[in-house]
Amino acid sequence: MWREWKTEWMKVRYRKIGLIVLAFLGMIILWVAWILSRNDMEQLQDGYELIFLNVPLIDTILLPTMIAMLGSRLCDAEVKGDTLKLLCTLEKRSRLFDMKLLTGASYLAVFVLLQAAQIFLTGRLYGFAGTAKPVWYVYFVLQVYTVSILILLLQVVLSFFFENQILPLAAGLLGSFVGLFSWFFPSGHPLKYLFLWAYYSELCFVRQDWDEITRISTFYDVPFPFPVWCLTLALLLAGYLAGKRLFLRKEI
Amino acid sequence: MKYMIETNTLGKKYGEKYSVKDLNLKVRPGCVYGFLGPNGAGKSTTMKMLLGLVKPTAGEIQMFGNEIHSRNRIEVLKRTGSLIEAPSCYGHLNGRENLEIVQTLKQVPREEIDEVLRIVRLEGQQKKKVREYSLGMKQRLGLAAALLGRPKLLLLDEPTNGLDPAGIQEMRELISDLPKHYGMTVMVSSHLLSEIDQMATDVGIIDRGKLIYQGSLRKLHEKAKGSIHIQVLNQTAAMRILEEHGESFTLENGMLVLKEREEVQVAELVALLAGHGAQVTGVSGQQKSLEDIFLTLTGKQVSL
Repeated sequence: MWREWKTEWMKVRYRKIGLIVLAFLGMIILWVAWILSRNDMEQLQDGYELIFLNVPLIDTILLPTMIAMLGSRLCDAEVKGDTLKLLCTLEKRSRLFDMKLLTGASYLAVFVLLQAAQIFLTGRLYGFAGTAKPVWYVYFVLQVYTVSILILLLQVVLSFFFENQILPLAAGLLGSFVGLFSWFFPSGHPLKYLFLWAYYSELCFVRQDWDEITRISTFYDVPFPFPVWCLTLALLLAGYLAGKRLFLRKEI
Repeated sequence: MKYMIETNTLGKKYGEKYSVKDLNLKVRPGCVYGFLGPNGAGKSTTMKMLLGLVKPTAGEIQMFGNEIHSRNRIEVLKRTGSLIEAPSCYGHLNGRENLEIVQTLKQVPREEIDEVLRIVRLEGQQKKKVREYSLGMKQRLGLAAALLGRPKLLLLDEPTNGLDPAGIQEMRELISDLPKHYGMTVMVSSHLLSEIDQMATDVGIIDRGKLIYQGSLRKLHEKAKGSIHIQVLNQTAAMRILEEHGESFTLENGMLVLKEREEVQVAELVALLAGHGAQVTGVSGQQKSLEDIFLTLTGKQVSL
């Protein structure tokens, strides 16, 4: 398994995937800074809640595109280079599929952990009055990472199956729009369970109340929706089995 | 082990149409097996089935004397090298980096990379990005990847496709030398009869998914030997004389067709027939080319 894992990292040399991930992280940091600059210190009383709500919202908009690029970068070299007919004689197909996912998942793990660090440091830097419960960081990672892996799975399958990478990238952009729309639907709305990208909002553990008269937003945390998270895991497992089966049946 | 590759009623069906049907390949160790057939005959499908890239609909495959199934496929294929259609390579990596990936997967010593680069004469270009390679260089890189690990069996599907004449000649020489220098068995497919004639020791001819000839190239050449055609006025007498002298012959378009022989023997035969009243009016020699044989077998013109 290690040699297959090693070769995946040999293949992504010069592909600048890390740079893409860092660029998206930089964009999110700037976006968060802009949001915080529009709030006065009083509103920043709920700074951690605000940020734990807004970062997943921004992720919903940007991550589907980033993950589409990530999936495409990981797989298009195989498609363009027509390398599957060589690789599939040297390693098990199922392992190749797993290694692609694992490589993408590694990038996403670094990304999500850096985001958690970003939230922590932002809180310190801006001196938010409240405190963030340590478990919020765990919830945040569960929320963003699980949904991102689910989307990565879809993108890897699409990138393997379509020679023209425009389609997987278009799926990523569509996902961004669908995900953004999902934030306007109330929690638990059945439509939200139909779209992968909507799970970012459905797994959010911070809610916002907007008072039209005072024009003040108040944020509060709710219990982490473990049943929805379990559903996401179930979808991930089903998607993994289906995607792998498709890949194994693909004739080269 | 009698055969490096042996298939038993191997078949592949797409929808209702057979791409390959009842194929019984037998590839001897140490030979260059030329797999010849017109475009669309089923050569690539067969080779892909041998490599597990396409799942057969019927039949069995044995390699190195072992029956191939999903559990042992990779272990068996580790002892083979392959180059199927266009070469497989990562354009954003250089030649050496491409080979390092294959070397890692095949678990062979890194020093072998230098050796295969030398064999395919790419040492000077190893640091160049593969996207800057010409097709011929990519093809040689593909062959280098196939040669890594000194496989006992090489499967090459149309390896000269897209190469310039010099590249074609170079590749052919390289392939012909492999059994001699490295003890490899090579199965090489082509739609070019002349190419197979230059490289192969054994040949299998496939047409419309069926194997229509398999054997040594020498035997195929023997089939291509010429004949003499004799025209006579008294056919009955001529046939009787030939039968009396134990000569085998056939009748084609009113002419007696006999196997090719020395000129002196032809003169003696004509004298014999003339002396017994067969009234010889014409004698001609006819040479059958490999192309004619192929045409007879497949009913299709093949590229020369």
